[in-house]
Amino acid sequence: MPDPDVSLLRPYLLTSGRTEPIDRDLEIETQVLTSELGAASHASLSFERRDIVALCTKTMSVAEIAAILGLHIGVARVLVADLAALRYVVVRRPAAGLASDPAMIERIIRRLEAIS
Amino acid sequence: MKPSAEPRTPTPVKIIIAGGFGVGKTTAVASISETTPLRTEAAITTASEDVDRTAHVPDKTTTTVALDFGCITVDDDIKLYLFGTPGQDRFGFMWRDLVLGALGALVIVDTRRMDDCYPAVDYFEKTGLPFVVAVNLFEGRLSHAVEDIRWALAIGDHVPLVTFDARVKVSVRDALLTVLRTTLERVTAR
Ligand SMILES: Nc1nc2c(ncn2[C@@H]2O[C@H](COP(=O)(O)OP(=O)(O)OP(=O)(O)O)[C@@H](O)[C@H]2O)c(=O)[nH]1
Ligand SMILES: [Mg+2]
Repeated sequence: MPDPDVSLLRPYLLTSGRTEPIDRDLEIETQVLTSELGAASHASLSFERRDIVALCTKTMSVAEIAAILGLHIGVARVLVADLAALRYVVVRRPAAGLASDPAMIERIIRRLEAIS
Repeated sequence: MKPSAEPRTPTPVKIIIAGGFGVGKTTAVASISETTPLRTEAAITTASEDVDRTAHVPDKTTTTVALDFGCITVDDDIKLYLFGTPGQDRFGFMWRDLVLGALGALVIVDTRRMDDCYPAVDYFEKTGLPFVVAVNLFEGRLSHAVEDIRWALAIGDHVPLVTFDARVKVSVRDALLTVLRTTLERVTAR
């Protein structure tokens, strides 16, 4: 477990060099995948950022990252947003309007109906 | 370190599982998730909500709430997440974030402590998120008539009320299907 005080502060300290404003509203189900750039820059990253880039060679959600790395969800959101702004990870956020798309809802219904 | 060759990144969708403490949220998520459910913590700073202008130093208190989650892969393009969270007034801050873009919600009720689910019911009524009330049958049978429960919770006829057993996969599946059908009805009625 990282020191909680340090992990709460660090993301805010690390944001000075970012190229885009951090979107702190990143949904916790957002899918995260390490980019080639991220994989290549792995060694230059520190602490949780390095851990995230190492972890996300397989796609996972912000919530999973937080759970696996023992980070508070808010910290994980900021770190991922930060890494995404630097193009070290690519993110897939929930599509606007998907939750009200009948065809998509029907697909999920069929999938659940197949569970036994 | 190599990134995966052909990135397959599904679009995430979610259903919220809410309710008071000890009603079976974690159990329900675990029963149906295809992966071992995970737990994370969210820090909630209460002072960010209402700033007391008369105070020189804002009175900040940080609470930590647990968030359980699991998932079901729908197909290559869609991944359904289930988020289990305690429904409390003071967690409103996290709720806004959590609920945004959700397909719907399942509010679990223990009829021995019905009051505990009011904040969740209230919140979903206000935000207009489709939701279903699911009575967890701790004793294996219903101790109140369904209509009495409906009355006690002050939920209208438009809110489906089901009974289920959080420990049983197909029972959780059926409760979630009721949520999805409610959502589908809502979006096709527009
Ligand atoms: N008999 C019975 N026990 C249940 C049922 N669902 C849950 N339980 C038990 O009730 C207890 C509480 O269930 P949890 O799933 O932890 O409830 P929770 O809502 O996640 O609780 P908190 O996270 O503490 O708010 C556990 O010991 C479960 O094993 C049920 O349908 N029947
Ligand atoms: Mg729980």
